[in-house]
Amino acid sequence: MSLIDSTQSALEAAMRGSMLRQSLLTSNLANVNTPGYQRQDVNFQGVLSSAMASGQSPAAVSFTPVTQNQVVSADGNGVNAEQESANLSENGLLYENLTQIAAAREQIMLTAMGMKG
Amino acid sequence: MSFFDSLDIAASGLSAERTRMDVTAENLANAQTTRGANGQPYRRQEVILQQAGSFGSTLAGAMGVSPGASASASGGVQVAGIVSDPTPDQLVYDPSSPDANKQGYVQMPNVSTVNEMVDLIDESRSYEADVTAMQTAKTMYTKTLDLLK
Repeated sequence: MSLIDSTQSALEAAMRGSMLRQSLLTSNLANVNTPGYQRQDVNFQGVLSSAMASGQSPAAVSFTPVTQNQVVSADGNGVNAEQESANLSENGLLYENLTQIAAAREQIMLTAMGMKG
Repeated sequence: MSFFDSLDIAASGLSAERTRMDVTAENLANAQTTRGANGQPYRRQEVILQQAGSFGSTLAGAMGVSPGASASASGGVQVAGIVSDPTPDQLVYDPSSPDANKQGYVQMPNVSTVNEMVDLIDESRSYEADVTAMQTAKTMYTKTLDLLK
């Protein structure tokens, strides 16, 4: 087993995906009044889990934004502001979770190496 | 995707909503202006927003290559222009006004105060939503930095 195991690199990949999703959701919110704008999102958890199921290394997974065609208002805009705010909070909390787990794993490693305290 | 994309995008939303608020304020201030710049009644102004291209996709387009997955993310929103509302002026019967025509009607601006107030609420709430997005992004960056502690 190498020092950086697949769980650690999966955590890093998820953080990458969550960061990308954050910028897409922010963009959706910024464009809530742009006529004809279609919302963008990325299902990074789905992409990551299917990549890991097929034996791909999490570090090599790349995420692609997906444009969703839907219309919720008369000017052809597809952004539901409340939904985007909820997604944004959810994504932020998930990211916080991921960093906490990553930090805990690093602490374990430091303890094992005798570099702590 | 750069690390601070979210902050830039939220900032573009903030400045777009602020522009809309400025224009709404101007409309409200001129709701009774019968003598505009060209001697005609004031015309209601409206902001047109458009999706902004990100730096990455603009660069890729200029270099003639297809943008990568990360570069295709949006660069937020920008103001495409401020245009005059073409709806006709309101005619108000007020023979005592110096601007009244022979029939006693005054051409008033095509500004509806109620519509402008509703727009103002919408703009203010969108602004708040962008601020929340910015705060979430900031928390995320702080958490990332906390990993180094």
